[in-house]
Amino acid sequence: MPLRAGYAEAIGHHGELVQGLFEDDDAQLRRALVSLPCRQLRSKVRFIANDSGQVLVLPASREKARRAAQLTLNAFGRLADGGNLAIESNIPLGRGMGSSTADVLASILAVLNWLKIDVASDEIMRLAVNAETACDSTLFRQQAVLFAHRDGMVLEAFRRPLPPIDFISIDTTPGVTVDTLEFAPARYDQLEIETFRPLRSLLRTAIKNGDAAMLGRVATASARINERFLPKPRLTDIETIGDRFGAVGVQVAHSGTVVGLMFDGRDPRASANIARAAKALQRSDFEPTIFRH
Amino acid sequence: MSTRALMRKLEDFEGPRLVPLGGNLVGASFFLMKLLPARFMLERAVDQGLLRPGRTICESSSGTFGLALAMLAVQHGYRLLLVSDWALDRHLHRRLVELGAQVAIVDRPAAGGGLQQARLDRLQIYVSDIAGSYWPSQYDNPDNPFSYAKVAEQLIDRLGRVDCLIGPVGSGGSMSGTSRYLRTLFPDLHAIGVDTPGSVLFGQPSGKLNLSGLGGNILPRNVDHRQFDEVHWVTPAEAFHATHELHRKHGLFMGPTSGAAYRVAHWWSLNHPGKTVVVMFPDEGHRYVETVYDQEWLKAAAGWGDRPAESPIAVSSPRSPMTRWSRVLWKRRALDEVLSGSGDGDDTDLAT
Repeated sequence: MPLRAGYAEAIGHHGELVQGLFEDDDAQLRRALVSLPCRQLRSKVRFIANDSGQVLVLPASREKARRAAQLTLNAFGRLADGGNLAIESNIPLGRGMGSSTADVLASILAVLNWLKIDVASDEIMRLAVNAETACDSTLFRQQAVLFAHRDGMVLEAFRRPLPPIDFISIDTTPGVTVDTLEFAPARYDQLEIETFRPLRSLLRTAIKNGDAAMLGRVATASARINERFLPKPRLTDIETIGDRFGAVGVQVAHSGTVVGLMFDGRDPRASANIARAAKALQRSDFEPTIFRH
Repeated sequence: MSTRALMRKLEDFEGPRLVPLGGNLVGASFFLMKLLPARFMLERAVDQGLLRPGRTICESSSGTFGLALAMLAVQHGYRLLLVSDWALDRHLHRRLVELGAQVAIVDRPAAGGGLQQARLDRLQIYVSDIAGSYWPSQYDNPDNPFSYAKVAEQLIDRLGRVDCLIGPVGSGGSMSGTSRYLRTLFPDLHAIGVDTPGSVLFGQPSGKLNLSGLGGNILPRNVDHRQFDEVHWVTPAEAFHATHELHRKHGLFMGPTSGAAYRVAHWWSLNHPGKTVVVMFPDEGHRYVETVYDQEWLKAAAGWGDRPAESPIAVSSPRSPMTRWSRVLWKRRALDEVLSGSGDGDDTDLAT
């Protein structure tokens, strides 16, 4: 009897290191981002196949994941293939931490796992974008990428993975959720669009050299540009505390509510600095959570 | 995804070639720097509906911006009308005509603002007479400084962090723009503008200018004074000496504005070892074969026989008479702040 179940996991992220408008190879502008992956945040999906020809999902609210599984079956399965998706995730919802994308990716991968087929990552990305109109770059673990999240396309693959970043997570508006897809895309002005050029080159250089400090500068610059579109209350207070304790920068969820105070994961003083910065944040009425790379 | 106007056929000519000049000093040597802002301004004008196919571009230029426009116009099917003056190099003039540009020469200075103003006055007439004409207005068009993100991008790609940027100031576009972009990532960047005595750009009383492309008698809106930490004024003869030194020591055949910038950069870099310093060289020396690179012509140039200064003298105000290489710690102030002497704290850096 053939195996009737498939299983897969996908990780969430803590917003983006950078997000903006970038030229593709034909010099046309595309929205693109680099997510800050967070391995502690996971969506785990089990797909139990049947011959109903349709897909059901639990929790039932995860409609995009259901759609993604259905699209995957349509593309690679037989007409009669259907099944039940069971999703288990610890990724907070509506904070810009990729909960929906992780569900979608894990669902696609779980179906593919059941089908026992390997599919190229750009194909997976296309399915994900079809299921939820946008996606993130967490699928790319071996190599950092600048990812056109609305096109499901890699704009630039960098030479190495991201250098290790430890960070303190701060939810600037715990009571408020942002619907990533309802949120209107930023309308960058000409100066902002051009500013993404040097950001992109420092991003490339920082990844090539494994330089967390330079990566922090890129993330900080991107966070500041984003303030005009989805401001994070008290961002400068967080930056000031970071400066006191050797943080390399701040990064934000460009379509969410969280801010990350970034530290160089290779710096032996990082642990002590993070502990002291977390205390200082608490004294300033923030609720910090520490994530290690 | 948007579809936008693209005029990128000459894109490979837009960026600088980077040349190590000893220590941590790097020359950013351009074939023709103005190609970048010219292309950017034209693309934007097309996007905004200001420039339509086959129409006429009108501009005032006695040099490289006109050449850049001419190269782009011939590639993309525009007509070009340039207003220039007697200082236009005759070989460049011929080249512009070969490129199909119509070149109008102004020979009498205006009552205020000299030849530069006379050119602009004439230009106004053409712009209003020619239907559908487009005036890029490099001195005031914000797209000029905006275009320099690409230079910042290239510098970072090659060098990573940049500590100091030095360059000549004419329209203000390259130095104001590049500094601004670099500072979004390196807020401590030290920016040094290089001007010449008699240029009003950084507050000198207006005087006759003998150094083409450096400074001016009209203050362009694109000079963003708050970007500059330091401003130097280099005399023509000092710039000419430095231009020859750049050629003889490093093999770089550049124009005299490059020489002026090199003079300042070499000095600053020697005094700040370990700092990554980039100096901008905007154009090559071909336009100056019969002037700056001609020994007979040089003999007649004021101050050519004098031994050039090794270092600048500090002056307290940009209004001071300047007969030799001078500098003011600008401290990212507005022009009127500097002229009124406000925010002019201790000059501790003068010792360096």
